Amino acid sequence: MKRNSFLMQLLLIVLSFNLNGQEPTAKQIIEKADDKFTGEKSSVSVMSMTIVRPAWERTVEFKSWTEGSEKSLTLITGPASEKGQSFLKRGNEMWSWNPSISRLIKLPPSMMSQGWMGSDYSNDDILKESSIVRDYHHKIVGEETLEGRLCYKIRLEAKENAAVIWGHQVRWIDKEDFIFLKAEMYDVEGYLIRTELAGDVQLMDGRKIPTRIELIPEEEEGHKTILKIREIRFNEDIPDSFFSQQNMKRVRS
Amino acid sequence: MNNIKLAWKNLWRNRRRTLITAASVFFAVFFALFFRSLQLGSYDHMYKNAIESYSGYLQIQQEDWWNDKTIDNSFRYTDSLNERILDDKNVTGTIPRFESFALASSGPNTKGVMVLGIDPEKEQRLSKVKDKKVKFLLTAKAVEKICEDENLPQKTRDMADKVEGNAYSTVDRFLSDLSLDPGRRDEFLPILESYAGFQNGAIQKGEPGAWIGSGLSDYMELDIGDTLVLISQGYHGTTAAGKYEVKGLIKQPTPELDNKVVYLPVDIARQLFNADGMLTSIALDLKNTDDKAIRETSIRLSKVIPGSTRMIDWREMNEIMIQQMEADNKSGMIMIGILYLVIAFGVFGTVLMMTAERKREFGVLVAIGMQKTKLASIISLEMLYIGLLGILGGMLVGAIGITIGVSNPIVFKGEMALIFEEYGMEPKLVFAGVGTYFLWQSFIVGLMVLISIVHPVRKILGLEVVNALRA
Repeated sequence: MKRNSFLMQLLLIVLSFNLNGQEPTAKQIIEKADDKFTGEKSSVSVMSMTIVRPAWERTVEFKSWTEGSEKSLTLITGPASEKGQSFLKRGNEMWSWNPSISRLIKLPPSMMSQGWMGSDYSNDDILKESSIVRDYHHKIVGEETLEGRLCYKIRLEAKENAAVIWGHQVRWIDKEDFIFLKAEMYDVEGYLIRTELAGDVQLMDGRKIPTRIELIPEEEEGHKTILKIREIRFNEDIPDSFFSQQNMKRVRS
Repeated sequence: MNNIKLAWKNLWRNRRRTLITAASVFFAVFFALFFRSLQLGSYDHMYKNAIESYSGYLQIQQEDWWNDKTIDNSFRYTDSLNERILDDKNVTGTIPRFESFALASSGPNTKGVMVLGIDPEKEQRLSKVKDKKVKFLLTAKAVEKICEDENLPQKTRDMADKVEGNAYSTVDRFLSDLSLDPGRRDEFLPILESYAGFQNGAIQKGEPGAWIGSGLSDYMELDIGDTLVLISQGYHGTTAAGKYEVKGLIKQPTPELDNKVVYLPVDIARQLFNADGMLTSIALDLKNTDDKAIRETSIRLSKVIPGSTRMIDWREMNEIMIQQMEADNKSGMIMIGILYLVIAFGVFGTVLMMTAERKREFGVLVAIGMQKTKLASIISLEMLYIGLLGILGGMLVGAIGITIGVSNPIVFKGEMALIFEEYGMEPKLVFAGVGTYFLWQSFIVGLMVLISIVHPVRKILGLEVVNALRA
């Protein structure tokens, strides 16, 4: 027995050595990077979103609680005219609460393609269930340096029967920390629809994450949305009742 | 002189033939005038409806608003701007507006609506919203009471059932829909008022109250005093949401508008859309509204308004309607052309017969020594008399008929009215007054008569006496 377990240990060491020595596969890279975002049990964050348009720009501030990828609650904290609105996501359904009219509204399918709070993020982007790990074929297509970081460049080809809106994506992932630094989304016909840029990688609650994400829709000149993470804490215990319609009306920052 | 007398006497030798020919000319003129009057009248009415009921003759808008009606294309409105506009000699009033769209909700009902932020007092100069407030509403209960009241005429009680649910902003339309004799108005109106009368409240500055279209109130099941919730996207992508008390119902003649219009005081509408101090358009009330005056006012004002705004006149705002009417006008002209063609052949046919009938007479006259040219000129004069008789008669009767028509437009009611309203038109046929088109129609018919003279003249000049005598 003793010898057996020794052998096993040896085998494990060899295997892990092998893994470290070899280049990881494209799928492993994506999985690892995806885990940075969705791997935590829960998170509480304070963010700001700046909507940039050719003639104007404005900033919305909000606080967000999430648990897994299924549940989230977002409370708008600024500007004053919109303060107090909250959004609840459970599964693929979304509700909004507006204190000025005291109405709870379930977002109808017709509103899914509209921008959340007037931004370039559609409600669908927030609700979508697709996974960049499961719904795509992955392939390393090169290496590039972004913001002084060496990155894998990976092409994600949508699987035939996957329920995704993109035809394919190209993502740049930091080789050292496995952080998405850039993504390009193409439609089924191969046209570039939007670009996402991540930057300002900082240590937040013990994790290295990008704290600034820019979304640039390709079809509209001069439009973009900048998301900044001001604070984030991971793995806090949030009771299930927190993600409820009752709590939408009560929740305070 | 002799010729003229002879021709006149000739006419009355065969009274029936003369009258038939004159009648064909008469009807040609009369119908052409009648149709033209109706057509021109309906254009005029529709223009007036569109312009005076909402858009006005001239507006100031942010430069991109007309092509892209999002509230981000609004402009800042200040008192000093207002004064500068009012300084213009042709401007008698400014009518500020803030227009957008929203999702309206009440209980389980939701509907996309058009939100019009207005100043009810200033709006009196143009769209006269206050006059469109619902005065009578035939609710199920009101209809029941009307049906049960035995003092009311039977016809009214029968009609009430058919028009249940309708709203009325005018007494006349209400009474005509209920088939009530206007002569007995004083007797029955108070009774009907007690059953179906409707009271509205006012909307005013600073108060979150709304007037809504009567069709919308019906669909949303909203009554006076109920709360209407509006949700939309505000200025620069903000969230717009607000609740408003329904203060009154507005009856818009076109159901399309009636089913989706919500009026708010302009400052409340701006608050809803987070656009304080902004407007989407200013409609102008003008002293002089002929084309030249509008053009000049537009040029003068474009020098005083801010750079991001522009002047837009009623032609540009009603482009589609104008094009439709031009197309309709062309098809109307073709119809009249066909009418002329039919009538021209009628007139020509009568002339042909007359010539054939009188061939022997012509032969005898020439045989006893009358000059062919003299005969031809007498016949020509005869024709002219007939033409003149028909044209003048047609114009006279047409003018009388049209004058009566102008002051008594044909108004449809009940089912027929609904068909008109579904197409967004007022159920009304309006006549255009006597105008220059009279001369044109008469001129064309006159020309037809002149052309048909050619035939008998040629026949007479080429007359062979021997053959003619044998005819």
